[in-house]
Amino acid sequence: MIPDFDQQGKAQTKQWVPEVTAPAILLENVSKSYGRIFALSNITLALNGGVTGVLGMNGAGKSTLFNLLMGKLKPSQGSIKLFGTDPWKNPAPYARVGFVPEHEKMYDWMTGHGFVSTFARLNGLTRDEASVEANRVLEFVGLTDVAYKKIGQYSKGMRQRAKIAHALVNDPELIILDEPLQGCDPLARTTIMNLIRELGRMGRTVLVSSHILQEIERITEQIVILHQGQLLALGNLHSIRERLDQIPHRISIQAENPKELAKDVIDIDEVYGVSFPDGKNISIQTHNLGAIHSQLPRIIVDNNHKVSTIDNPDDDLASILGYLTSGGRM
Amino acid sequence: MATKPDSIYRAFDRKASAIVEFTLRQYRTKTSTWVVLGVGFTALALIFLIYIDVMSSEFESIDNDGDSTDYDLDGYPKGQELRLGTDPWDIDSHPGLFDPPIEPDPISMYINEDGFDWDITSELGSQTTGIDNDGDCLDSNKTDSQKDTNNNGVPCDIIVDFFRSSDGRIYSNIHADSGVDEDPDEDAYSREAIHMAFVLSIGKLGFVLLLGIFLPLFMATGLIRDEMSSGTMHFMLAKPIARSEVFLYRTLGYLGIVWPYVIVLGILGALISGFAGSGDAFFRFADLGVWLAIIFATMMATLVYGMLFNALGVLWKYGIILAIPFAAWELGMALLSMGAPDAMLLRFSVIGWAMMIVDAAAMIVWPNLDLFIVMGNWGGGGGGSGWNGQSLEGSGPLNFFSSKPGLGLSAFTAMIVATLVMLFQAAILWFIGGAIFKGKEIQ
Repeated sequence: MIPDFDQQGKAQTKQWVPEVTAPAILLENVSKSYGRIFALSNITLALNGGVTGVLGMNGAGKSTLFNLLMGKLKPSQGSIKLFGTDPWKNPAPYARVGFVPEHEKMYDWMTGHGFVSTFARLNGLTRDEASVEANRVLEFVGLTDVAYKKIGQYSKGMRQRAKIAHALVNDPELIILDEPLQGCDPLARTTIMNLIRELGRMGRTVLVSSHILQEIERITEQIVILHQGQLLALGNLHSIRERLDQIPHRISIQAENPKELAKDVIDIDEVYGVSFPDGKNISIQTHNLGAIHSQLPRIIVDNNHKVSTIDNPDDDLASILGYLTSGGRM
Repeated sequence: MATKPDSIYRAFDRKASAIVEFTLRQYRTKTSTWVVLGVGFTALALIFLIYIDVMSSEFESIDNDGDSTDYDLDGYPKGQELRLGTDPWDIDSHPGLFDPPIEPDPISMYINEDGFDWDITSELGSQTTGIDNDGDCLDSNKTDSQKDTNNNGVPCDIIVDFFRSSDGRIYSNIHADSGVDEDPDEDAYSREAIHMAFVLSIGKLGFVLLLGIFLPLFMATGLIRDEMSSGTMHFMLAKPIARSEVFLYRTLGYLGIVWPYVIVLGILGALISGFAGSGDAFFRFADLGVWLAIIFATMMATLVYGMLFNALGVLWKYGIILAIPFAAWELGMALLSMGAPDAMLLRFSVIGWAMMIVDAAAMIVWPNLDLFIVMGNWGGGGGGSGWNGQSLEGSGPLNFFSSKPGLGLSAFTAMIVATLVMLFQAAILWFIGGAIFKGKEIQ
């Protein structure tokens, strides 16, 4: 029902009781090609419950996957089922689905409330019901204060939250968010991440895409990795992480006196190489990222080194993809 | 949670009203809407200004039979000399030499002195009518055969023959005795003819053709396409609504702004032409019937073209380019409908059927329109026996812009058939447009 933020700041929402046994999302051998270029090839995937992050570089097929799920595209091969129904042929399952599209363009001339309630009426709600429902979801995403302002005056984060409110109308069981954090400032990111986690706690099936590993990491551990249209990995981010820690890593440190710092750092057992790419930086090679991260701060503080940045260029999606595509196994 | 819809129809209703309302508000925020509506209004306003100017000017009166002229320069017009029995060609023979002398009549007495006195309707067969007001036919000096040059045994009358030609249409021949109704009132006739021609021309070309095609061309082509291009279509299609529904409701939203616009312009046109038009009456109430048909025909045209152009927009990003050949075709059909309202090709157009509605209404409201055109084309027969002189001003345009509804149907039947055909066209185009949209992949 209406979230009650006064109770320890946690939204109280009814528990979802699945009505049918069909999974929220079921893809079987789905391929989507444009001419001879495969945007997605041979994806088989079933999801029901929980928050799942869809990771992939730009062009990996995340949006293609979502557009297939939303019935915008027709699969070249294979079958897609949302709650047991083919979305390309029948829009009925969207009564139980909320979708946050990636596109930036919104109806800037509408108010947040007008935007949400107008489209809520497409769920079959009356004008009054839609208005009440819009107020509910706008409160859930924290836009009550600006509900009657034009979307054109919204900040990027507010716009994203308005899109999420639009998707949450009618209490959907499945929520699909395409790059919801893109272009948001850190505060808005945190707010939206909390919203997504909250939806997961409420028992909804949530699918959220990003090309930034750290973002997904903060939302969920269950991930799907897409790379060049293929399903590269499906599972727990932690297990991937543990394996990643065993492969060579680089840590780049910008310090006032790199040579002195290098002398101290080389003493750590797990470090097997130090190099100086330029006058200001040192680059540390290691097999055990965790050990470095636990010892490095103490060394810096004890020896009173002046350090401006510590960068971990390999700790991102690209390195995971590199590892996975070079024969790593989950 | 909100209660679920009571029935599937209630749900349709709610979705439809939501999208229609949304579409209307969206139009309101677009500059292009106001530009298109403003240009349409300005164009029609200019045409109305021209009309008012024509209606407020005097049509030159012509002495069709030449009896106002003083040929022998004795100061007396020919008509007066003939009436009083003096020789119009002899300067030494005139009524001024009578005892007591008679003053010359003012020349104006002999202009427009023998107007149309036709009390017939345009029915098949031969009818006789006409009165010789100025006595130049009933002249006692004339022999019986001179008074009956059309040889029907009735002196000083006009025979009007209505006959059905092999093409199924009704034509007429006029055989008049010399000197009957030969000097009609140009101003009265032309004013009426030009008024009717104007109502028909602005109705057919200004409303049905221009508004009927250009409003949808600029306002309906982007109904779906613009949303697809900008990506905002995702918001609508993320809801449980079929694409053909979206197609229909968007078109309804477009009609929600175009129909009131057409109605308002039509009412303005009816008011202006009703007050400024010809005739002694303060307001021409009968014309309202024609205006009603013009408004209705335009609404039907904007409906069918709205569906068509919306579908073309879905079909291709540059759907407006696809729409231009249609507009050109329909322009040709509009002209064809005036020249040859029975042409088979017209059945393959939208405008042909819309014109049929206007023509049918004109036929009902102005039942003697045909006769009026025939009369004006004859124009008094040039004032004399034998040669068919000039037709009166206005009969040409009126003849061009009016036509009998095609298919040989009665006016009411034609109106109903045309309406049903256009509704059918709209339904088919909805079906096609919905199907195209449904098969369209959206990025």
